[in-house]
Amino acid sequence: MAQFRLDGTKVLAVTLEGGGDAVKAKNGSMVAYDGEMAFKKLSGGGEGVRGMVTRRLTGEQMTVMEVKGRGTCYFADRACDINLVRLNGEKLHVEASNLLCTDSGLRTGTSFTGLRGASQGNGLFTTSVEGTGQAALMSAGPAVLLRVTPQTPLQVDPGAYVAHQGDLRQSFQSGVNFRTLMGEGSGEAFQVRFEGTGLVYVQPSERNTLGGDV
Amino acid sequence: MSQPPQGGAPQDYQVYDAASLPANDNVNPYAFCVELDGQWFLQKGKMIAYYGQIDFHGIGHGPLDGLVASSFHSPLHAADWVVAQGRGKLLLADRAFDINSYDLEDGNLTVRSGNLLAFDPSLSLKQSIIPGFLTLIGTGSFVAASNGEVHFVEPPVRVDPQALVGWADCPSPCHHYDHRYLKGVMGGLRAMTGVGGASGEEHQFEFVGAGTVLIQSSEVLMDERDTGGVPQQAGVPGGQGGDSGHGGQQGPQLPGQFGSLQRRLGL
Repeated sequence: MAQFRLDGTKVLAVTLEGGGDAVKAKNGSMVAYDGEMAFKKLSGGGEGVRGMVTRRLTGEQMTVMEVKGRGTCYFADRACDINLVRLNGEKLHVEASNLLCTDSGLRTGTSFTGLRGASQGNGLFTTSVEGTGQAALMSAGPAVLLRVTPQTPLQVDPGAYVAHQGDLRQSFQSGVNFRTLMGEGSGEAFQVRFEGTGLVYVQPSERNTLGGDV
Repeated sequence: MSQPPQGGAPQDYQVYDAASLPANDNVNPYAFCVELDGQWFLQKGKMIAYYGQIDFHGIGHGPLDGLVASSFHSPLHAADWVVAQGRGKLLLADRAFDINSYDLEDGNLTVRSGNLLAFDPSLSLKQSIIPGFLTLIGTGSFVAASNGEVHFVEPPVRVDPQALVGWADCPSPCHHYDHRYLKGVMGGLRAMTGVGGASGEEHQFEFVGAGTVLIQSSEVLMDERDTGGVPQQAGVPGGQGGDSGHGGQQGPQLPGQFGSLQRRLGL
Protein backbone atom coordinates (compact mmCIF):
# COMPACT_ATOMS: atom_id res chain seq x y z
CA MET A 1 0.00 0.00 0.00
CA ALA A 2 1.42 3.37 -1.00
CA GLN A 3 2.22 5.67 1.93
CA PHE A 4 1.41 9.34 1.47
CA ARG A 5 3.03 12.02 3.55
CA LEU A 6 3.66 15.72 3.18
CA ASP A 7 7.16 17.10 2.94
CA GLY A 8 6.50 20.66 4.01
CA THR A 9 3.13 21.86 2.81
CA LYS A 10 3.75 21.94 -0.91
CA VAL A 11 5.45 18.67 -1.69
CA LEU A 12 3.85 15.26 -1.48
CA ALA A 13 6.09 12.28 -0.82
CA VAL A 14 4.70 8.89 -1.72
CA THR A 15 6.52 5.75 -0.65
CA LEU A 16 5.91 2.76 -2.87
CA GLU A 17 6.83 -0.75 -1.86
CA GLY A 18 7.21 -2.28 -5.28
CA GLY A 19 5.45 -5.34 -6.57
CA GLY A 20 2.49 -3.70 -8.25
CA ASP A 21 2.26 -0.90 -5.74
CA ALA A 22 1.09 2.12 -7.75
CA VAL A 23 -0.51 5.52 -7.55
CA LYS A 24 -2.22 7.73 -10.07
CA ALA A 25 -0.93 11.28 -10.25
CA LYS A 26 -1.49 14.37 -12.34
CA ASN A 27 0.58 14.13 -15.48
CA GLY A 28 3.93 15.83 -15.11
CA SER A 29 3.66 16.54 -11.40
CA MET A 30 6.67 14.42 -10.38
CA VAL A 31 9.51 16.60 -9.14
CA ALA A 32 11.94 13.97 -7.88
CA TYR A 33 12.17 10.33 -6.93
CA ASP A 34 14.55 7.84 -5.47
CA GLY A 35 14.53 4.12 -6.10
CA GLU A 36 13.09 2.58 -9.22
CA MET A 37 10.02 4.20 -10.76
CA ALA A 38 8.11 3.78 -13.96
CA PHE A 39 5.78 6.46 -15.24
CA LYS A 40 3.06 5.61 -17.68
CA LYS A 41 0.52 7.98 -19.07
CA LEU A 42 -3.02 6.75 -18.62
CA SER A 43 -5.33 7.86 -21.35
CA GLY A 44 -8.68 9.06 -20.11
CA GLY A 45 -7.72 9.04 -16.46
CA GLY A 46 -7.28 5.29 -16.37
CA GLU A 47 -11.00 4.78 -16.43
CA GLY A 48 -11.15 2.70 -19.56
CA VAL A 49 -12.74 3.57 -22.85
CA ARG A 50 -16.03 4.50 -21.26
CA GLY A 51 -14.38 6.85 -18.80
CA MET A 52 -12.33 8.34 -21.56
CA VAL A 53 -15.37 9.12 -23.64
CA THR A 54 -17.24 10.44 -20.62
CA ARG A 55 -14.42 12.76 -19.70
CA ARG A 56 -14.09 14.00 -23.23
CA LEU A 57 -17.82 14.65 -23.40
CA THR A 58 -18.13 16.30 -20.00
CA GLY A 59 -15.08 18.50 -20.30
CA GLU A 60 -13.87 17.25 -16.91
CA GLN A 61 -10.58 16.28 -18.45
CA MET A 62 -7.71 15.03 -16.45
CA THR A 63 -4.37 13.81 -17.70
CA VAL A 64 -3.11 11.20 -15.35
CA MET A 65 -0.04 9.03 -15.13
CA GLU A 66 0.46 5.80 -13.29
CA VAL A 67 3.53 5.66 -11.10
CA LYS A 68 4.75 2.20 -10.22
CA GLY A 69 7.87 1.00 -8.51
CA ARG A 70 9.83 0.92 -5.32
CA GLY A 71 11.09 3.98 -3.48
CA THR A 72 9.89 7.47 -2.74
CA CYS A 73 8.38 9.72 -5.34
CA TYR A 74 7.87 13.45 -4.79
CA PHE A 75 5.01 15.35 -6.40
CA ALA A 76 4.31 19.07 -6.54
CA ASP A 77 2.48 21.45 -8.83
CA ARG A 78 2.90 25.22 -9.11
CA ALA A 79 3.72 25.51 -5.40
CA CYS A 80 0.10 24.76 -4.57
CA ASP A 81 -0.64 23.67 -1.03
CA ILE A 82 -1.40 19.98 -0.69
CA ASN A 83 -4.01 18.40 1.55
CA LEU A 84 -4.17 14.69 2.33
CA VAL A 85 -7.48 12.90 2.55
CA ARG A 86 -7.96 9.33 3.73
CA LEU A 87 -11.03 7.61 2.40
CA ASN A 88 -12.57 4.53 3.98
CA GLY A 89 -15.18 3.65 1.43
CA GLU A 90 -16.68 7.12 1.13
CA LYS A 91 -16.94 9.22 -1.94
CA LEU A 92 -15.06 12.47 -2.35
CA HIS A 93 -16.07 15.02 -4.95
CA VAL A 94 -13.27 17.22 -6.21
CA GLU A 95 -12.54 19.44 -9.18
CA ALA A 96 -10.28 17.60 -11.63
CA SER A 97 -7.87 20.53 -11.58
CA ASN A 98 -7.46 20.17 -7.81
CA LEU A 99 -6.67 16.46 -7.74
CA LEU A 100 -2.95 15.71 -7.50
CA CYS A 101 -2.58 12.09 -6.61
CA THR A 102 -4.71 9.08 -5.67
CA ASP A 103 -3.94 5.65 -4.34
CA SER A 104 -4.45 2.89 -6.87
CA GLY A 105 -7.10 1.48 -4.54
CA LEU A 106 -9.32 4.45 -5.30
CA ARG A 107 -11.65 4.62 -8.25
CA THR A 108 -12.15 7.91 -10.02
CA GLY A 109 -15.09 8.88 -12.15
CA THR A 110 -17.16 11.79 -13.27
CA SER A 111 -20.41 12.94 -11.78
CA PHE A 112 -22.95 15.59 -12.56
CA THR A 113 -22.94 18.63 -10.32
CA GLY A 114 -25.52 20.86 -11.86
CA LEU A 115 -25.32 24.59 -12.00
CA ARG A 116 -22.47 24.98 -9.54
CA GLY A 117 -20.03 23.80 -12.16
CA ALA A 118 -21.42 26.20 -14.70
CA SER A 119 -20.87 29.17 -12.42
CA GLN A 120 -17.28 28.10 -11.85
CA GLY A 121 -16.49 27.88 -15.48
CA ASN A 122 -15.43 24.31 -14.82
CA GLY A 123 -18.27 22.68 -16.65
CA LEU A 124 -21.25 20.86 -15.29
CA PHE A 125 -19.30 17.88 -14.04
CA THR A 126 -16.93 17.08 -11.27
CA THR A 127 -14.59 14.22 -10.47
CA SER A 128 -15.52 11.68 -7.84
CA VAL A 129 -13.01 9.59 -5.93
CA GLU A 130 -14.26 6.48 -4.20
CA GLY A 131 -12.85 3.52 -2.30
CA THR A 132 -10.25 2.97 0.38
CA GLY A 133 -6.92 4.74 0.43
CA GLN A 134 -5.36 8.15 0.38
CA ALA A 135 -5.73 11.04 -2.00
CA ALA A 136 -3.94 14.36 -2.25
CA LEU A 137 -5.78 17.54 -3.14
CA MET A 138 -4.27 20.81 -4.26
CA SER A 139 -5.44 24.22 -3.20
CA ALA A 140 -4.15 27.77 -3.54
CA GLY A 141 -3.23 28.29 0.10
CA PRO A 142 -3.96 25.65 2.74
CA ALA A 143 -7.54 24.45 2.53
CA VAL A 144 -9.97 25.20 5.34
CA LEU A 145 -12.17 22.25 6.27
CA LEU A 146 -15.70 23.27 7.11
CA ARG A 147 -18.25 20.90 8.58
CA VAL A 148 -21.85 21.03 7.48
CA THR A 149 -24.59 19.82 9.79
CA PRO A 150 -28.34 19.87 9.22
CA GLN A 151 -28.56 22.87 11.58
CA THR A 152 -25.72 24.78 9.98
CA PRO A 153 -25.82 24.78 6.20
CA LEU A 154 -22.84 26.37 4.49
CA GLN A 155 -22.60 28.78 1.59
CA VAL A 156 -19.41 28.75 -0.44
CA ASP A 157 -18.12 31.02 -3.15
CA PRO A 158 -17.83 28.86 -6.30
CA GLY A 159 -14.31 30.16 -6.91
CA ALA A 160 -13.08 29.01 -3.52
CA TYR A 161 -14.65 25.54 -3.57
CA VAL A 162 -12.16 22.68 -3.77
CA ALA A 163 -13.86 19.46 -2.71
CA HIS A 164 -16.53 17.97 -0.52
CA GLN A 165 -17.40 14.63 1.01
CA GLY A 166 -20.28 13.17 2.94
CA ASP A 167 -23.99 13.18 2.47
CA LEU A 168 -24.43 16.66 1.10
CA ARG A 169 -26.97 18.22 -1.17
CA GLN A 170 -25.78 21.21 -3.06
CA SER A 171 -27.92 23.89 -4.47
CA PHE A 172 -27.14 26.96 -6.38
CA GLN A 173 -28.03 30.20 -4.72
CA SER A 174 -28.22 33.42 -6.58
CA GLY A 175 -28.72 36.91 -5.32
CA VAL A 176 -29.26 38.33 -8.75
CA ASN A 177 -31.91 41.01 -8.70
CA PHE A 178 -32.79 44.07 -10.68
CA ARG A 179 -29.86 45.96 -9.13
CA THR A 180 -27.42 43.46 -10.61
CA LEU A 181 -28.82 44.32 -13.99
CA MET A 182 -28.45 48.00 -13.20
CA GLY A 183 -24.71 47.43 -12.73
CA GLU A 184 -24.89 47.65 -8.97
CA GLY A 185 -24.25 43.99 -8.35
CA SER A 186 -22.75 42.84 -5.10
CA GLY A 187 -19.97 40.73 -6.59
CA GLU A 188 -21.15 37.88 -4.41
CA ALA A 189 -24.22 37.10 -6.45
CA PHE A 190 -23.60 33.38 -6.75
CA GLN A 191 -23.04 30.91 -3.97
CA VAL A 192 -23.25 27.19 -3.58
CA ARG A 193 -25.31 26.11 -0.63
CA PHE A 194 -24.41 22.81 1.02
CA GLU A 195 -27.00 21.09 3.19
CA GLY A 196 -26.86 17.79 5.02
CA THR A 197 -23.94 16.21 6.84
CA GLY A 198 -20.38 16.30 5.60
CA LEU A 199 -17.22 18.26 5.02
CA VAL A 200 -16.38 20.97 2.52
CA TYR A 201 -12.82 21.97 1.55
CA VAL A 202 -12.42 25.65 0.78
CA GLN A 203 -9.27 27.40 -0.42
CA PRO A 204 -8.28 30.91 0.73
CA SER A 205 -8.24 32.20 -2.81
CA GLU A 206 -10.67 32.53 -5.67
CA ARG A 207 -10.44 31.22 -9.17
CA ASN A 208 -11.77 33.51 -11.83
CA THR A 209 -15.36 32.59 -12.25
CA LEU A 210 -18.09 33.65 -14.55
CA GLY A 211 -20.14 34.78 -11.60
CA GLY A 212 -17.32 36.60 -9.86
CA ASP A 213 -17.87 39.97 -11.42
CA VAL A 214 -21.63 40.08 -11.28
CA MET B 1 -10.54 15.88 17.42
CA SER B 2 -13.80 14.08 16.99
CA GLN B 3 -14.36 11.84 14.04
CA PRO B 4 -16.32 13.68 11.37
CA PRO B 5 -19.74 12.36 10.48
CA GLN B 6 -18.70 10.57 7.32
CA GLY B 7 -15.35 9.39 8.62
CA GLY B 8 -12.59 9.83 6.16
CA ALA B 9 -11.22 13.13 7.38
CA PRO B 10 -7.51 13.28 7.88
CA GLN B 11 -6.68 13.21 11.54
CA ASP B 12 -4.10 15.95 11.39
CA TYR B 13 -6.36 18.61 9.91
CA GLN B 14 -8.53 20.78 12.04
CA VAL B 15 -12.14 20.64 10.95
CA TYR B 16 -14.16 23.76 11.65
CA ASP B 17 -17.87 24.06 12.00
CA ALA B 18 -20.17 26.98 12.61
CA ALA B 19 -19.45 26.92 16.34
CA SER B 20 -15.73 26.18 16.36
CA LEU B 21 -14.67 28.81 13.85
CA PRO B 22 -12.86 31.59 15.68
CA ALA B 23 -14.78 34.81 16.14
CA ASN B 24 -13.04 37.80 14.55
CA ASP B 25 -9.75 35.98 14.33
CA ASN B 26 -7.56 34.19 11.83
CA VAL B 27 -8.48 30.62 10.93
CA ASN B 28 -5.01 30.22 9.47
CA PRO B 29 -2.59 32.86 8.21
CA TYR B 30 -4.52 33.06 4.95
CA ALA B 31 -8.14 33.08 6.06
CA PHE B 32 -9.99 35.28 8.49
CA CYS B 33 -13.34 34.68 10.15
CA VAL B 34 -15.67 37.56 10.98
CA GLU B 35 -18.51 36.98 13.40
CA LEU B 36 -21.13 39.08 11.75
CA ASP B 37 -24.06 40.50 13.63
CA GLY B 38 -25.10 43.57 11.76
CA GLN B 39 -23.17 45.01 8.89
CA TRP B 40 -19.63 44.98 7.51
CA PHE B 41 -18.16 46.46 4.42
CA LEU B 42 -16.18 44.07 2.30
CA GLN B 43 -14.43 44.22 -1.01
CA LYS B 44 -16.02 42.22 -3.79
CA GLY B 45 -14.92 38.66 -4.21
CA LYS B 46 -13.09 38.31 -0.89
CA MET B 47 -15.78 36.19 0.75
CA ILE B 48 -14.98 32.50 0.39
CA ALA B 49 -17.68 30.91 2.55
CA TYR B 50 -20.19 31.67 5.27
CA TYR B 51 -22.49 30.06 7.78
CA GLY B 52 -25.75 31.69 8.75
CA GLN B 53 -28.01 34.16 7.06
CA ILE B 54 -26.06 36.86 5.28
CA ASP B 55 -27.06 39.07 2.39
CA PHE B 56 -24.75 41.05 0.16
CA HIS B 57 -25.79 44.42 -1.12
CA GLY B 58 -24.03 46.50 -3.69
CA ILE B 59 -23.29 50.04 -2.66
CA GLY B 60 -25.65 52.37 -4.37
CA HIS B 61 -29.12 53.67 -3.92
CA GLY B 62 -31.18 51.57 -1.60
CA PRO B 63 -31.92 50.76 1.99
CA LEU B 64 -28.28 51.14 3.01
CA ASP B 65 -28.02 54.79 2.08
CA GLY B 66 -27.67 55.92 5.68
CA LEU B 67 -24.86 53.49 6.41
CA VAL B 68 -23.00 54.36 3.26
CA ALA B 69 -23.41 58.06 3.99
CA SER B 70 -21.88 57.69 7.43
CA SER B 71 -18.95 55.37 6.74
CA PHE B 72 -18.20 55.17 3.05
CA HIS B 73 -16.68 58.25 1.51
CA SER B 74 -15.02 56.82 -1.56
CA PRO B 75 -17.53 57.04 -4.38
CA LEU B 76 -14.88 56.01 -6.88
CA HIS B 77 -14.36 52.73 -5.07
CA ALA B 78 -18.05 52.03 -4.62
CA ALA B 79 -18.12 49.55 -7.47
CA ASP B 80 -15.57 47.38 -5.64
CA TRP B 81 -17.35 47.20 -2.32
CA VAL B 82 -20.40 45.50 -0.90
CA VAL B 83 -22.18 45.52 2.42
CA ALA B 84 -22.61 42.16 4.13
CA GLN B 85 -25.67 42.23 6.29
CA GLY B 86 -27.04 39.60 8.62
CA ARG B 87 -25.87 37.18 11.25
CA GLY B 88 -23.36 34.41 10.93
CA LYS B 89 -19.72 33.57 10.42
CA LEU B 90 -18.05 34.95 7.34
CA LEU B 91 -14.74 33.66 5.98
CA LEU B 92 -12.54 36.12 4.13
CA ALA B 93 -9.48 35.36 2.03
CA ASP B 94 -7.64 36.76 -0.93
CA ARG B 95 -5.37 34.86 -3.34
CA ALA B 96 -3.76 33.01 -0.45
CA PHE B 97 -2.15 36.24 0.72
CA ASP B 98 -1.42 36.72 4.42
CA ILE B 99 -4.41 38.22 6.17
CA ASN B 100 -4.29 40.30 9.34
CA SER B 101 -6.81 42.28 11.28
CA TYR B 102 -5.99 45.64 12.76
CA ASP B 103 -7.75 47.57 15.49
CA LEU B 104 -7.90 51.31 15.38
CA GLU B 105 -8.76 53.32 18.41
CA ASP B 106 -9.63 56.84 17.45
CA GLY B 107 -6.82 56.64 14.93
CA ASN B 108 -6.13 56.67 11.25
CA LEU B 109 -4.46 54.29 8.88
CA THR B 110 -3.91 54.51 5.15
CA VAL B 111 -3.71 51.32 3.15
CA ARG B 112 -3.31 50.39 -0.50
CA SER B 113 -6.82 50.01 -1.85
CA GLY B 114 -6.29 46.53 -3.27
CA ASN B 115 -5.03 45.25 0.09
CA LEU B 116 -8.04 46.21 2.16
CA LEU B 117 -10.51 43.35 2.47
CA ALA B 118 -13.15 44.44 4.91
CA PHE B 119 -13.91 46.90 7.67
CA ASP B 120 -16.30 47.57 10.48
CA PRO B 121 -18.81 50.34 9.67
CA SER B 122 -17.79 52.11 12.88
CA LEU B 123 -14.74 53.17 10.87
CA SER B 124 -15.12 55.54 8.03
CA LEU B 125 -13.39 54.93 4.75
CA LYS B 126 -12.06 57.86 2.81
CA GLN B 127 -10.06 58.13 -0.33
CA SER B 128 -6.52 59.19 0.44
CA ILE B 129 -5.11 62.11 -1.49
CA ILE B 130 -2.36 59.69 -2.49
CA PRO B 131 -3.85 57.92 -5.52
CA GLY B 132 -4.55 54.24 -5.03
CA PHE B 133 -4.72 54.42 -1.26
CA LEU B 134 -7.63 54.50 1.15
CA THR B 135 -7.68 56.01 4.62
CA LEU B 136 -9.63 54.57 7.54
CA ILE B 137 -10.51 56.92 10.35
CA GLY B 138 -12.16 56.23 13.67
CA THR B 139 -12.48 53.33 16.06
CA GLY B 140 -13.01 49.77 14.96
CA SER B 141 -11.32 46.89 13.21
CA PHE B 142 -10.48 46.11 9.62
CA VAL B 143 -8.92 43.25 7.70
CA ALA B 144 -6.10 43.70 5.22
CA ALA B 145 -3.99 41.38 3.09
CA SER B 146 -0.30 41.43 2.30
CA ASN B 147 1.91 39.28 0.15
CA GLY B 148 4.05 37.76 2.86
CA GLU B 149 4.02 38.89 6.44
CA VAL B 150 3.57 42.52 7.35
CA HIS B 151 6.46 44.31 9.01
CA PHE B 152 5.99 47.40 11.08
CA VAL B 153 8.72 50.00 10.90
CA GLU B 154 9.06 53.40 12.44
CA PRO B 155 9.96 56.51 10.50
CA PRO B 156 12.29 57.93 9.36
CA VAL B 157 12.37 55.23 6.70
CA ARG B 158 12.45 54.93 2.92
CA VAL B 159 10.31 52.20 1.42
CA ASP B 160 10.20 50.59 -1.99
CA PRO B 161 6.92 51.65 -3.62
CA GLN B 162 5.88 48.09 -4.36
CA ALA B 163 6.51 46.86 -0.84
CA LEU B 164 4.44 49.55 0.83
CA VAL B 165 1.18 48.31 2.31
CA GLY B 166 0.19 51.40 4.28
CA TRP B 167 0.97 53.72 7.14
CA ALA B 168 -0.64 54.95 10.32
CA ASP B 169 -0.65 58.27 12.16
CA CYS B 170 0.43 60.61 9.39
CA PRO B 171 4.17 60.12 8.96
CA SER B 172 4.09 62.49 5.95
CA PRO B 173 4.61 60.25 2.91
CA CYS B 174 6.59 61.74 0.06
CA HIS B 175 8.63 60.62 -2.92
CA HIS B 176 12.37 60.34 -2.77
CA TYR B 177 14.62 60.06 -5.79
CA ASP B 178 18.28 59.21 -5.83
CA HIS B 179 19.18 62.34 -7.68
CA ARG B 180 22.72 61.29 -8.48
CA TYR B 181 21.47 58.47 -10.66
CA LEU B 182 18.76 60.39 -12.36
CA LYS B 183 20.27 63.68 -13.36
CA GLY B 184 21.62 64.49 -16.77
CA VAL B 185 21.18 62.76 -20.08
CA MET B 186 22.83 59.59 -18.84
CA GLY B 187 20.42 59.43 -15.92
CA GLY B 188 17.49 59.75 -18.28
CA LEU B 189 18.84 56.97 -20.45
CA ARG B 190 19.45 54.77 -17.45
CA ALA B 191 16.01 55.29 -16.08
CA MET B 192 14.41 54.66 -19.45
CA THR B 193 16.38 51.70 -20.69
CA GLY B 194 17.72 50.14 -17.55
CA VAL B 195 21.11 50.05 -19.31
CA GLY B 196 24.05 51.44 -17.42
CA GLY B 197 23.44 50.50 -13.87
CA ALA B 198 19.88 51.39 -13.04
CA SER B 199 19.19 49.24 -10.04
CA GLY B 200 15.46 49.77 -10.14
CA GLU B 201 15.73 51.23 -6.66
CA GLU B 202 16.28 54.88 -7.53
CA HIS B 203 12.86 55.85 -6.32
CA GLN B 204 11.43 55.31 -2.86
CA PHE B 205 8.65 56.54 -0.65
CA GLU B 206 10.03 58.45 2.27
CA PHE B 207 8.35 58.65 5.65
CA VAL B 208 9.31 61.01 8.44
CA GLY B 209 7.46 62.02 11.58
CA ALA B 210 5.68 60.02 14.23
CA GLY B 211 3.80 56.93 13.17
CA THR B 212 4.14 53.42 11.82
CA VAL B 213 4.78 52.21 8.30
CA LEU B 214 3.54 48.81 7.13
CA ILE B 215 5.56 46.95 4.55
CA GLN B 216 5.07 43.54 3.01
CA SER B 217 7.83 41.04 2.41
CA SER B 218 7.38 40.97 -1.33
CA GLU B 219 7.20 43.41 -4.19
CA VAL B 220 4.29 41.70 -5.85
CA LEU B 221 1.27 43.95 -5.91
CA MET B 222 -2.27 42.80 -5.96
CA ASP B 223 -3.72 43.60 -9.31
CA GLU B 224 -6.11 46.39 -8.68
CA ARG B 225 -9.17 47.18 -10.64
CA ASP B 226 -8.87 50.36 -12.57
CA THR B 227 -11.86 51.88 -10.91
CA GLY B 228 -10.91 53.98 -7.95
CA GLY B 229 -9.11 56.54 -10.04
CA VAL B 230 -9.01 60.11 -8.88
CA PRO B 231 -11.22 62.93 -10.08
CA GLN B 232 -10.04 64.68 -13.21
CA GLN B 233 -9.55 67.97 -11.51
CA ALA B 234 -6.80 70.53 -11.19
CA GLY B 235 -4.81 70.20 -7.99
CA VAL B 236 -5.62 66.56 -7.44
CA PRO B 237 -2.53 64.35 -7.45
CA GLY B 238 -2.77 61.84 -10.24
CA GLY B 239 -5.66 63.68 -11.81
CA GLN B 240 -5.12 64.80 -15.36
CA GLY B 241 -5.72 68.42 -14.37
CA GLY B 242 -6.52 69.70 -17.83
CA ASP B 243 -3.15 68.81 -19.34
CA SER B 244 -4.13 65.38 -20.56
CA GLY B 245 -0.88 64.79 -22.46
CA HIS B 246 1.10 64.61 -19.25
CA GLY B 247 0.04 61.51 -17.37
CA GLY B 248 0.28 62.23 -13.67
CA GLN B 249 1.73 65.44 -12.32
CA GLN B 250 4.14 64.11 -9.78
CA GLY B 251 7.00 63.31 -12.13
CA PRO B 252 10.10 65.31 -11.36
CA GLN B 253 11.17 67.79 -13.99
CA LEU B 254 14.40 66.06 -14.87
CA PRO B 255 16.07 65.82 -18.23
CA GLY B 256 15.32 62.60 -20.00
CA GLN B 257 11.89 61.18 -20.12
CA PHE B 258 10.48 58.85 -17.51
CA GLY B 259 8.52 56.55 -19.75
CA SER B 260 7.49 54.13 -17.06
CA LEU B 261 7.31 56.37 -14.05
CA GLN B 262 3.62 55.83 -13.48
CA ARG B 263 4.10 52.11 -13.43
CA ARG B 264 7.17 52.24 -11.23
CA LEU B 265 5.29 54.25 -8.65
CA GLY B 266 2.86 51.38 -8.41
CA LEU B 267 -0.07 53.58 -9.25
